[in-house]
Amino acid sequence: MHKDVHKDDGIIVVQNVTKQYSGRTVLDNVSLAVEPGKTTVIIGKSGCGKTVMMKHMIVLERPTEGQVFFKGQRIDHQHERDLAEVRRHYGFCFQMGALFDSLTVYENITFPIQQKQKITDWNKMDELVKQKLAMVGMDGFQFYFPASLSGGQQKRVALARAIALNPEVILYDEPTTGLDPVRSDIINELILKLQEALKVTSVVVTHDMKSAYKIADRIVMFHEGRILADGDADYIRNHPNPIVQEFINGQVSESELAPIRMGGTRFETQFHPEDFKPSNPKKQGQATGS
Amino acid sequence: MAMIEQIGAHTMQGVEDLGRFSRFCSRGLISSFRTLFNPRAYPLIWAQMNAIGVRSVPVIMITGAFVGMVLAIQAYDQLAGMGLEERLGVLINIAVVKELGPVLAAVMLAGRVGGALTAELGTMNVTEQISAVESMGVDPIRYLVAPRMLACLILTPLLIIYADFMGIAGGYLVSVIQLKINSAAYIDYSAQSVELWDILTGAMKGIFFGGAMAIISCYKGFTCREGAQGVGQACTEAFVGSFVCILAINFFYAIVIKSVYTTFWPIKSLL
Repeated sequence: MHKDVHKDDGIIVVQNVTKQYSGRTVLDNVSLAVEPGKTTVIIGKSGCGKTVMMKHMIVLERPTEGQVFFKGQRIDHQHERDLAEVRRHYGFCFQMGALFDSLTVYENITFPIQQKQKITDWNKMDELVKQKLAMVGMDGFQFYFPASLSGGQQKRVALARAIALNPEVILYDEPTTGLDPVRSDIINELILKLQEALKVTSVVVTHDMKSAYKIADRIVMFHEGRILADGDADYIRNHPNPIVQEFINGQVSESELAPIRMGGTRFETQFHPEDFKPSNPKKQGQATGS
Repeated sequence: MAMIEQIGAHTMQGVEDLGRFSRFCSRGLISSFRTLFNPRAYPLIWAQMNAIGVRSVPVIMITGAFVGMVLAIQAYDQLAGMGLEERLGVLINIAVVKELGPVLAAVMLAGRVGGALTAELGTMNVTEQISAVESMGVDPIRYLVAPRMLACLILTPLLIIYADFMGIAGGYLVSVIQLKINSAAYIDYSAQSVELWDILTGAMKGIFFGGAMAIISCYKGFTCREGAQGVGQACTEAFVGSFVCILAINFFYAIVIKSVYTTFWPIKSLL
């Protein structure tokens, strides 16, 4: 599935992006326009390229081919110095939180602000940190170190840090992975709350379908580096493609189960009749030892 | 064919790695130079100087002292056999300030500081903290590498002076107290032979040793693979790389310094 997108079609536009690592294609000519003010959820199996796609949106990864635009401005070829300015419009919530473990919760939240400007009024900063932490229900944890917080608490603090600079776009990388269902729902509610309160554009990478249905305005399914399905929750729920259905229902296909069910051991030295057919000269050459 | 393919692939990988490392070095050096003139970054440099320098003082001093002491024990018999035991200080002090003090202090730092830098940055890399810095519009080389590199560049020469001092003191104490050499003669001969040039050129090596150690350790941390094994391997590679680099720099530095010395004082070296 491939459709053409124009650089002004969304706040973030990824146009014909291909990404290869050592010759292995992870993204294959992908185009996607992220609509402003909406929550776009990217789903797909592990290793299908969804996190790589998200990292391209903030140019933490640069495409092998193709272009990335932010508000109509091409950003994928920019120098790191110029990119720094663009990245201040983003908040990135990493999978494991990625809080700086040598800094307290307070210092983690003030870090992006301190890097942007010299802080002179610390009372105002205390208020700001309190406000950001209150938004994620973590006020009072200012002077804790990340190591003394639980996984869910770390993710909430990471969310508070991501919104410290009042970003226009928040990128969430698997925000509910590793959390119990109750904690997962808290994170979902927070994403919805921030969406309403701050009117931000959100892009969420996840494979938690419950979370996707709850928060998404639009769901994009990736499969083997390409977009397989793109629509709202109902569209995805009723999509006829068996790969989409298997993923959203959490079922494994028979072809994937076959190696697990197969008994015995296949020896690699075993020859097959087709190895000796003249139509397959390469295999025949190998079989005869040339 | 497969062998040629493999050689080609390894060569290309090697060239790619070298290119990446060179780019990292140039970015590290440029960022360090800029950071030097940015007062807002001074607290970061200060914190690294404390972690890298101040906490290394005891181990560096112990290393220096034992080097001086063992030299006295080992060299005494040879010199005493020729009746030159009062000149023991010449041998110990020249060896300590020119070679053993700087090299052993740098190797000790590569183990203590280099390993810690790689482990710290490697863990930050694996837990996406470096990406987090980048995603907030902050250059991770400027924020993470430059302060560590400046701390190593500034403090390695000073730590070498500590090692030298303890080496000289250790050698003196063993010579005078245990080996019963005349103290005045020991000091007199030492003062005549060890020049300020020897001490300064020995300590100045620290800038190169510190710079090489910092950049190799930071690079290995930034490029380490995922998992505990990845961080462990990066630490090993950082130490081995720094160690070999320190020895190689020491050799080329000796050639350059010798040429400079003979250019400015052509006759003195013959005396």
